[in-house]
Amino acid sequence: MNIFDSSFKEIFTSQIVSVLGGIIAGTILAVYMDKILLIPGMLILLPGFLEMRGNISGSFASRLSAGLFLGVIKPRLRETHIIKGNLFASFSLALFVSLVLGLLAFLFNYVVLGIPTPTIIFLPLIAGLIANAIEIPLTLIVTFYIFKKGHDPNNFMGPFVTSTGDITSIVSLLIALVII
Amino acid sequence: MKLLITAKQHKLRKQLHRLTKIKRHKHHHLIHNLHKKHRISKKTLFYVKEYGPHSHIARTIIKESIKILLFASVLSSFGGLALEQIKALFIQIVPLIILLPALNDMIGDYGSIISSRFSTMLYEGKVKRDWKTDRELKKLFLQIFTIAIVMVILSVIISLFISSFTNYKVTTAIAGKIMFIAVLDVALLVSILFLVAIVAGLYFYNKQEDPNNFLIPITTSIADFGNMILLAVLVLLLF
Repeated sequence: MNIFDSSFKEIFTSQIVSVLGGIIAGTILAVYMDKILLIPGMLILLPGFLEMRGNISGSFASRLSAGLFLGVIKPRLRETHIIKGNLFASFSLALFVSLVLGLLAFLFNYVVLGIPTPTIIFLPLIAGLIANAIEIPLTLIVTFYIFKKGHDPNNFMGPFVTSTGDITSIVSLLIALVII
Repeated sequence: MKLLITAKQHKLRKQLHRLTKIKRHKHHHLIHNLHKKHRISKKTLFYVKEYGPHSHIARTIIKESIKILLFASVLSSFGGLALEQIKALFIQIVPLIILLPALNDMIGDYGSIISSRFSTMLYEGKVKRDWKTDRELKKLFLQIFTIAIVMVILSVIISLFISSFTNYKVTTAIAGKIMFIAVLDVALLVSILFLVAIVAGLYFYNKQEDPNNFLIPITTSIADFGNMILLAVLVLLLF
């Protein structure tokens, strides 16, 4: 049984991209550890906040790819019924999930740890706003670019979204901290 | 002849219009009929059903995604709570902080890959009744497991290297413990995810539902939650 076939190579390559993005995000996290992780409840918030970007932008990219292949969406940055709806839905979902994550972190902090930190509600909301203002248009542009180049965006967008998503999320959290 | 084609087209248009009104919950037989009779691909029919001209796209996407996103948020918050409980200890181990996003991405990605590949195998009829002796499944497991182990070793080496530039003192014992935690975490979770994907995938497939819609959210949520809990337990035990 030969396990080193083409799909092995494809998964391996995409994993290198994903891991490198994760390591860069982790390094930023370690450098600014005193600012980010010392806020009570930050570790409750962080996994969900990092995961959200992949969940929302990943689905967005895969819907765009399906539409592009079916010819329903044209790879042009012109507002159409489908693109507008997708952008609005992705952005609304991201903001809503950011708020839920903030509320959950506040609740767990208060109930389990006995520390009331209202800041933790607004932090993911502001960071989510910044991160998605970058990540969602970036996903749209890169998906179109890859499709125009004749490649299948499904093979590239998963690792791209998770790795860039991690970096933008951590940087946005830092910016939100400065704002708050 | 022309009249016949027009009647056929009219019928097709009527059926496509009916398709846009169908609720998403189940795989509707109309999709199968249209696919067989008019040779329209199932993906195109699905897109017509979901995002046709009469559908409110944003509402459809939000309605279908919100439950699973909320479920994932609650689950990752519980996982994060486990790490928060040992925060004082955890933030002292710089290589693990560097590794955290990469580990999360990695295990979540394996959950998605296993789920989508197993769903495709089910549709293609490649899975035997006795899945334990299935060669294709064995190959998929070995591929994912090999990649997972190579990637986690690589990630630990990079994170230890980066940590050496900080104030954190990386000794051989610490490096060994971090390598052990990361490798055990990934090996255990990949095996659990594989088992869950097979059992749940067969269950949903036998119920004539699309395993794609269930397996990815289930496996990625288990991956995230399991990763946090396992990391918290292993750090507590070893540091």
